Amino acid sequence: MRVGIEGVGTSHFGRQPGADLVDLAFTAVDEAFRAAGGPRSVDAVWAGTVFGPAGVAQRVLRAMGLTGMPVLTVENACASGTTAFAEACEAVRSGRYGRVLALGIERMGDGAITPEATDPEGRSGLALPALYAMAAARWLHEGRVTPEQLAAVSVKNHAHALHNPRAQYAGRYTVEEVLASRMIADPLTLLQCCPTSDGAAAAIVGPAAPGRVAVRSVALRSGAPWNHRSPHVWGHDLVRDTAAAAFAAAGVGPDEVDVAEVHDAFTIGEVVTTEALGLAGPGEGGKAAATGRTALGGEQPVNPSGGLLSRGHPLGATGLAQLAEIVWQLRGEAGGRQVDGARIGLVETMGGGVSVLDGNACVVAVLEAP
Amino acid sequence: MACVTSPDPRPRVVAGPADDGLVEGRRCTACGEVAAFAWPACPACGGPVEPARFGPEGTVWSATVVRIPVPGRTPPYGLAYVDLDGGPRVLAHTGGPVPIGARVRLVPAGGTDDVTVEVIR
Repeated sequence: MRVGIEGVGTSHFGRQPGADLVDLAFTAVDEAFRAAGGPRSVDAVWAGTVFGPAGVAQRVLRAMGLTGMPVLTVENACASGTTAFAEACEAVRSGRYGRVLALGIERMGDGAITPEATDPEGRSGLALPALYAMAAARWLHEGRVTPEQLAAVSVKNHAHALHNPRAQYAGRYTVEEVLASRMIADPLTLLQCCPTSDGAAAAIVGPAAPGRVAVRSVALRSGAPWNHRSPHVWGHDLVRDTAAAAFAAAGVGPDEVDVAEVHDAFTIGEVVTTEALGLAGPGEGGKAAATGRTALGGEQPVNPSGGLLSRGHPLGATGLAQLAEIVWQLRGEAGGRQVDGARIGLVETMGGGVSVLDGNACVVAVLEAP
Repeated sequence: MACVTSPDPRPRVVAGPADDGLVEGRRCTACGEVAAFAWPACPACGGPVEPARFGPEGTVWSATVVRIPVPGRTPPYGLAYVDLDGGPRVLAHTGGPVPIGARVRLVPAGGTDDVTVEVIR
C-alpha cells in the first residue's frame, strides 16, 4: 500500500505556560482533520513525546473524543514526533490500519534541558548545547566551517520565520549580531541555539490518493557507537546512513530535493546535516547558508519555516511540525515562504542524549507533491 | 543535582602510576573495542569484555565552556572530549578553556566524581 498524507496541523509554537496541552493538541489535530476532510476518526494513534507525563497521549486524545482505539506513545529524543510518523506510515503501508493519527506533543521546562543523571555524560554536566558546541569547535578547528558561516544559518532561518506566523521567534539579524549575542557554550551564542518551546503538531496518514502528498519513503535508525574511532563529528554518520536508506527506498537522490526541513537545534546542526544528507558537499554546508544557496530563493532552500532555531523546539512536536511545513510546501500552501514549484521535499530529525552513541534516533522522510 | 538515587554512571577513575589517574573500563576480547565503562558487553559487537585501565595521558579532541545554568553545576565550566592514549574517548572536566590537540593528564580521583584532566603541554 502506498502511503499519503491526508492532512497536517500544528499549534502555535512558543512559551505558552497558560495553554493546556489538551488545547495545544486539539488545535493541531483539529487543523489536520479539517485539511483531511472526511470523518473525524482514525484507526490508531502514534504519539511522540519526550517528557511525558505518563498517559499524556490518552489524556489529550480523550478530551477531543478520540478513544477506544490503539494508542501508542513513543520516545526517541528530538525525533519522537517523526518516529510516531514513521510508525504511522508503516502501519498504513503494511495494511495493519487504514487511517492513523501521528501526534507530537511537548511542554518544556525553563531553560536548557536538564542533563539526564542516569547517563554518564549527563551526570558529568554535558548540557546538549555543549555537545553541539564541541562539534562546532571541532569543525572550526578543522577549517570545515567558519564562525561567520555558522552565524549565517541563524541569520537565514530567523529571516525565513518572518513569513511563518506560527514561529516563536523571527527577525532580521546580521552575522555580527548573532556572533555578539550572549555565549551559551563556546563557540555557540544565544542566537545559534533553539529556544525553549511548548507545542503540538499532527498528521493524518492514509493511503496515497490523488490530491495527497505522497510518502516516497521513511527511514528510522539509532546511532552506532560514537567514539575515538569515529571519523566525523557527533551525529554526522547517523544522519548520512539514515538518509542513504531513505533515498534508496524513495528512488531519488539529494540533488532532486526541492525543499528540506532539517534538525537545526543549533546552527552547527544544520551545517553538519546538510553535508550528511548530501545537500552540500564536504566542507560546503556553512558556505551553502552564507551564500544563500539554502535560503528561500536559493537553489535548495533548507528550513523555510525558520527551523528549530526560530519556530521553536518542543521536542516531541518538532518532527511533525517539520512534516507539516513540507506538506504545505508541496501543496503550494506555504504563503510568503513558499518554495516555487517544490515537487520533492525532505524531513530530517535527529535526537541525542545517550553518551557513546552517534544519536538516539534519526528519521529521514522523502515526500512528493500531489 | 537532580535524581542521584541511581548508581553513578560516570567512568571510575583510580590512582595512576604517578600523581595522576587512570580510567577503569573494559576491553572487548572479541573485537578489541575499548570502553570507559564497566558495561557487561562490548558496545561495538556485543562480545565479552575484560577489565582494562586507560590513561593517564590523552589528547583533546574538542572542548567547550558551558556558560548556562545546569542543575548541580556552577557556570562557567570547561568540558572536553579527550582521546586517552590507546584508550577510549572520555568526557572530562577541564576547569577553563583548553585548545584542541592539547596533551592532557587525568587528575587523581578524589574531591569530585567527574573525570577531570589538566593540560601538560
